[in-house]
Amino acid sequence: MDFSFLEVHKEDFIDGFLTTLSVSLVALVLSLIIGTIIAIFRISPLAILRAIGTAYVEFFRNTPLVIQVFFFYFGLASIHINLSKFFVGSLGLAIYTGSFMAEAIRAGIQAVPKGQMEAARSSGLSYVQAMWHVILPQAFKLIIPPLGNQFINLVKNSSVLAIIAGTDLLYAADVAIANYDVTSVYVLVALLYLVITIPLSIGVNYLEKRWAKKG
Amino acid sequence: MTIIQFTNVNKYYGDFHVLKDINLTIQSGEVVVILGPSGSGKSTLLRCINRLEDISSGELIVDGFKVHDKNTNINLLRQEIGMVFQHFYLYPHKTVLENITLAPIKVRKMNPEEARKGAMELLTKVGIPEKANAYPSQLSGGQQQRVAIARGLAMKPKIMLFDEPTSALDPEMIGEVLDVMRTLAKEGMTMVCVTHEMGFAREVADRIIFMDEGRILEVGTPEEFFNNPKEERTKLFLSRILHH
Ligand SMILES: Nc1ncnc2c1ncn2[C@@H]1O[C@H](COP(=O)(O)OP(=O)(O)OP(=O)(O)O)[C@@H](O)[C@H]1O
Ligand SMILES: [Mg+2]
Repeated sequence: MDFSFLEVHKEDFIDGFLTTLSVSLVALVLSLIIGTIIAIFRISPLAILRAIGTAYVEFFRNTPLVIQVFFFYFGLASIHINLSKFFVGSLGLAIYTGSFMAEAIRAGIQAVPKGQMEAARSSGLSYVQAMWHVILPQAFKLIIPPLGNQFINLVKNSSVLAIIAGTDLLYAADVAIANYDVTSVYVLVALLYLVITIPLSIGVNYLEKRWAKKG
Repeated sequence: MTIIQFTNVNKYYGDFHVLKDINLTIQSGEVVVILGPSGSGKSTLLRCINRLEDISSGELIVDGFKVHDKNTNINLLRQEIGMVFQHFYLYPHKTVLENITLAPIKVRKMNPEEARKGAMELLTKVGIPEKANAYPSQLSGGQQQRVAIARGLAMKPKIMLFDEPTSALDPEMIGEVLDVMRTLAKEGMTMVCVTHEMGFAREVADRIIFMDEGRILEVGTPEEFFNNPKEERTKLFLSRILHH
């Protein structure tokens, strides 16, 4: 291993790490919101909302992330909508990951016994109130493990930013391998991804255990 | 005063005619027990009252609201109707106190302190104030059902619906739940109960309604119903139930 490239490229790697971290965090929050909304569409009593939800999931889950990011970046630029790389990266990732999260969240919601919704509605709560106070808290407990997997995929998928020259971790590596030992560069990059994903795994496990205790 | 009125109500599940030409008037303060074999439509009838099920035709008026009318604000009507289910359906992620105060705080916009005070009074009434901060999973079935009744009462409803509230309980816990229901009946609550507890029906009901295959076959006081049933189906049902 030869980490001498750090002498020249240390800043690139720090920037790359921070970009990957912040894109991931922003995308994570956004994808959770998108996923929840689309999941609720998917089980809505209104046929039109269900159709929108299904179309969303089928489209974004079944097309490559790279194509989606290209579309948002180059496609929109061609009609003079210029978005920052950070924004395109976060939004693209969130839209893509949101389709997987929607399916995980929908499965979680549907695993909550039907009687919970009936009990809540029969006490006078609106559909939205019943979802928010009664169904979603129970559903989220069930979907922490699959959601955790999606979080980790999201961090790893953030590497697509490199292809539109967003200055993320993988991009830093692309720059460094021009003059230095390729293996060492990628080992460092992999380690830096682990610095993000391993604490995420531990956090998810912790939440799962803590919530499992609470009845 | 009439509080629930079914007029020529029919309900279908697809092609299946589950409620057939139901005519039924319930007075405020009345305790009505619905009996009948499995699949006869008892739960469906009950669940129409707070529109957990929609009726297909006819008219259903509850507390002055046209239940079947799409313009009726159903959440407003449901505040007046408490419901207790066979399987309790307490919210497992909330404490007993939170289970009871959720609707008063979110729907009635009651201040939380006041709601908790009311909830404690209800818990005292159903005999388990010491469980206020427990989670449902830490309670016995009988205790859970008593909490569910307290939750139903928290909105100060005019009507309470019970769908086989003791059917999921171990025999030794049935009494404690029936006691709470008996107290409610004495206090003048309007109650519609589906139950297989014949002792309770005989003692507490003002009227018994017997259903079979989606129809109300017979209506009468417990006295008339148990001692002098008119319909053959009723006699058969009673002989089966009372001799097992
Ligand atoms: N959602 C539904 N879709 C189709 N059929 C249904 C549905 N719900 C109930 N049924 C049918 O309607 C009939 C009446 O059901 P209901 O639950 O009202 O009976 P019940 O008298 O309460 O019976 P039990 O004593 O078993 O609870 C049954 O034949 C049942 O299979
Ligand atoms: Mg039933």
